[in-house]
Formats: sequence, structure tokens, C-alpha cells
Amino acid sequence: MTGRSARRILGWAVSLLTIAGAGLVLLPYFWMVSSSLKTQDEIFRLPIEWIPRAPQWANYPTALARFPFEKYFFNSTLVAVAVMASNLFLCSLAAYGLAKFRFPGRESCFRAMLSTLMLPLEILLVPTFLVVRQLGLLDSYAGLIIPLAVDAFGIFLMRQYIMDLPDSLIEAARLDGCSEFGIYWRIILPNCRPALAALAVLSFRENWDQFLWPLLIASKESLKTFPLGLALFEGSFNASYHEMMAAAVVGMVPMILLFLLFQRAFVRGITLSGLKE
Amino acid sequence: MAKPGDEAVSDGLASAPPAIPQRRTAARPRHLSIEQRLRWVGFLFVLPALLHLALFKFYPMAQALLLSLFRYDLLSPPRFAGLGNYRALYENPLFHQSLGVSVKYTLGVAIPEWFLALGLALLLNRAMAGRGVIRLAYFLPIAMSQIVVALVWKFLYHPHGLVNGLLEMASIGRINWLSEEATALPALMAIGVWRGVPLFSVVYLAGLQAIPGEYYEASTIDGAGPWQRFRYITLPLLRPTMLFVIVVSLLMAMKFFTNPLVMTEGGPNGTTRVLPYFIYETGFAFFRMGEAAAASSVLFALAFLFTLVQFRMLRRETAE
Repeated sequence: MTGRSARRILGWAVSLLTIAGAGLVLLPYFWMVSSSLKTQDEIFRLPIEWIPRAPQWANYPTALARFPFEKYFFNSTLVAVAVMASNLFLCSLAAYGLAKFRFPGRESCFRAMLSTLMLPLEILLVPTFLVVRQLGLLDSYAGLIIPLAVDAFGIFLMRQYIMDLPDSLIEAARLDGCSEFGIYWRIILPNCRPALAALAVLSFRENWDQFLWPLLIASKESLKTFPLGLALFEGSFNASYHEMMAAAVVGMVPMILLFLLFQRAFVRGITLSGLKE
Repeated sequence: MAKPGDEAVSDGLASAPPAIPQRRTAARPRHLSIEQRLRWVGFLFVLPALLHLALFKFYPMAQALLLSLFRYDLLSPPRFAGLGNYRALYENPLFHQSLGVSVKYTLGVAIPEWFLALGLALLLNRAMAGRGVIRLAYFLPIAMSQIVVALVWKFLYHPHGLVNGLLEMASIGRINWLSEEATALPALMAIGVWRGVPLFSVVYLAGLQAIPGEYYEASTIDGAGPWQRFRYITLPLLRPTMLFVIVVSLLMAMKFFTNPLVMTEGGPNGTTRVLPYFIYETGFAFFRMGEAAAASSVLFALAFLFTLVQFRMLRRETAE
């Protein structure tokens, strides 16, 4: 009897700890939103004011008026959508080729592609910059988008999924006289919707957030992305933290919405890539 | 349409190594040509992605290795320097410091992630009220933009920010987190862990949920306690997931330098100048492209080493 009640108390304690931990994880967001609604004098005031007495909603328009944030927002979205679209197409096409066809050198192809996972842009920054410069793509949307158009991660994720599709599906379509590209387009793609959704969400999230690459190759104001704009904002209005937090909240909202709407796809993407192999 | 026999044969077709051709039936000439055509189709499907990766991964990597043997400032043409860049790095105390900082940062972020993420996944896998909402709360940092993270934490670590405010209320006193040599790097590590743990606990959680419940039931009937169930069922079955987490977390921490760039500019006194940041600075602030390329090659070598170790372990794993 005492063993059972002790176990129950332990269970409650662990649950409480889990909830407290969640609070701790969320604290930075809460503080960010709270500070974005304070006056400059209030942000560093002690004792800590968790909730501002008079919310300063005007901080938002003031902060956003300091920089062409709509332009940055547009650029980030454009880059993210273009990179996502090309990844969805090229990665699923390559994954289909790797998963359902046999040709000499297929395994080495796949291995070579996978090996690029350890060569992310951050590690190849200098030479990629030089290649893009040789191609004359500095300071252009093409330069922001094309180097990111294929990510081996997408090929890996799609291949995992396509391998599990039954071959009979493809053979039946082939017997019906469907063209090879038609099989990919009309049979394979509709059947991998869950994997495509997962890849779409992960890719959009990652690429909306591009910062380093635009920092290097987009010197024109009209090409800057939202994260880059935020970083510049921080550099130029160092003291006005309340406005910076307001701008940061605006930058966070699309991500949070995306995450809440597509939570399943997010988790599936992370799972698909991690679980198997 | 699909007979079970069909499945087995076509399965063999899809997974057989390409070196050993398997004919489905005694081949008539017509079939052979279709098979040959299909080979080309498969290759053509792979080709665009392959060309892209060749142009933006393999060619740059080869170029970096080549460039590391030259002096190049982007303006005047490159001049051959032999191993001069590597010697310059070897003699540059800042490079040694940066290598040390990178190792410390990578291990200091990745190792806590392995354990905390597993712990969190175990907590979130328990049956409890409101589990969905609690999971969501923990997973939200995954969605945070890296610059937003950097700005918010810079604000939290501000000499008069929330972290010091809480310390002061507990009468501990304030610390200049980001401007003192002893605390700057650990402060950045803490952010890395805060951001990485949710991501990897999603991976662990998926691994945990893939373990059949019957295993636990059977072992409970046989009298196994919670620790024994964890030790002899959960841990062994999670091994592939763990390997994945270990390598990805190491690679992620190794390449990361947004926070040093935005929050500390590598300071104070270079204590947060991780290797990718050193490369970025050498190349794009001092325009010593050759030396930056040489440092990149060192970074490739490290990434390659980590990955190689993982593939070795994975192969042993699958061979068992």
C-alpha cells in the first residue's frame, strides 16, 4: 500500500517537474513579448515587472517604421518559397531515381550525395562565395536561391519514403502506357504527400531564416532578408531594446504559426530522417 | 493485381546491388531494351540534383583545397604559396585558440544535449494530463529563428537583463555574462543546449514510440523493475537513434557561429571565436582567402573524421 502511494506521489512530482521545465523553456518568449510592450525606462527595472502596467502597442509601428521590414519580409518569403519548391521537385525526382531504378553506380551516387550532409554552407562559406562570384550571381535573387536549391537531406528523406511504396504501383502505370516522367508526376508525387509536406515545412523554416548567406552576398538593401534586417536593426539601435523585441516578435510570428499549423509535418520530418537507416 | 510473389521479386530488384544484374524472366530481347531504357531514366532523374551538388558542394570543396595553396585577396590574381597558408595557421596563436574554443563549444553543447534530450523524451513519453500541450511548449524553440534567438538571449544576458535581475533578487549579484572571459562561452553553450534539446528529444521520442509495448509488458511479468526495463530494453533498442543524435548534434554544434557573430563578435579576447567564425573573419574581414581556405580544410577534416567514426559504428551496428 505505502509503495503504491509513494509511487503516485513520485509520479505527481515528475509531472510537476515536467511542467516547470516547460515554463523555463518558454520564459524567453514570454519575456520577449512582455518587453516589447514596455517603455524604454521600464525594461531593466527592478524588481522584475513580468507584465507591463500600460502596454505600449505603439512600439510595434515605431519599430517597423525604422527599416523597410516589408521588403525584408517579402525577400525572406520569396527565397524560402523558391528554395522549398526546387528542393521538393529536385530531391523527390532524384530520390525516386535512387529508390526505384537500378543503374550502374547508383549506390556510389547516393553515398556521394549523402556525404554532402557534412558540408553545410557554413563550412563551405569561402569557396561557395567564390563560385557564386564566378557565376556573376552576387547581389541577385538567383545568388540567394540557387546555391540552396538542392539539399541532400531532402533526397535522403524522400528516398526513405519512396522505397516503401510498392513497386506494383509503378509497374501497373507502366503497363498502362504512362510515360516515365508521368509515373513520377502522377503516381509517385501524390503518394508521397506526407513526406513532401514534412520536407516543405522543414525547408521553409530553415530558409526563411537565412542570415549568413545573405549577409555575404546581398549588399543591396533591396535584397536583404528579414533575419539580416533584424541583425542590422540591432546594430544600429543598440539601446532601444523594447523596439528590437517588437521587431523580433514580428519575425517570430510566421515561424510560430507555421509550427502550430504543421506540427505533425515537422515532427514527421524529423522522425523520417532520424529513425530509419 | 500484385501477387505476393511479384512483391518479393520486385523488392529484390529495388535493393539488389547494381553490380549483380537480376533478370526477372528469361530475357527476351524486347525486355532487355526496356531494362536498359529504365537504367537511363533512373540516372536522368538523379542527374539534376547530382549536378547541383557537384557544382555547389564538390567543386567548392575541391576549390577550397586548391585555394589553400595560394595567396588570394579577391582583387589581385592568386599567387602560389605552397604550404605557406598552413604554416601561417600553425604559427598563428589565434588559430590555435579558435580550434580550442571550437572543440570546447562543440562538446559543451553536444554532450549535454545527448543526455538532456533523452531525459526529456522519457518525461514526455509518460502518460500525463495535458501531454500534447506540454510537448508543444517544449518543442516551440525548434521554430525559433536563429537571429531572434540571438537577440533575445543577448537581451536576457544584458548586465541589467532578466538573468541578472533574477540573480539579484536572489541576492547573488550580477555577472557580465557576455563580456567576461570566463562566462561568455558557457553562456553561448547554454543557448545551444536550450535550442538543441527539443529537436533531439523529438528524435528520441520517435525512437521510444517505435519500441513495441509488448516487450515492456513481458518483462514486467517476468519481474523486471523500471531500471531494468530501461537498461535492457529501452537503451539497446535506442542505439541507432542515439548514434544519429550524437553525430548530427556534433556536426550542428561544430558549424554554428551565428551567436558568436551577432552576440559577442568572437570576444572577449577571442574566447568565443569558434573555428567557422575564424574562417569567416580571415576571409571576409581580412581578405586572406587562401588562409581561410586552409582553415576550412582543417574543418572539413574534423567533420569528415566525426562522420567516418559514425559510419564505422553504424556498420558494426547493422552487421550485428
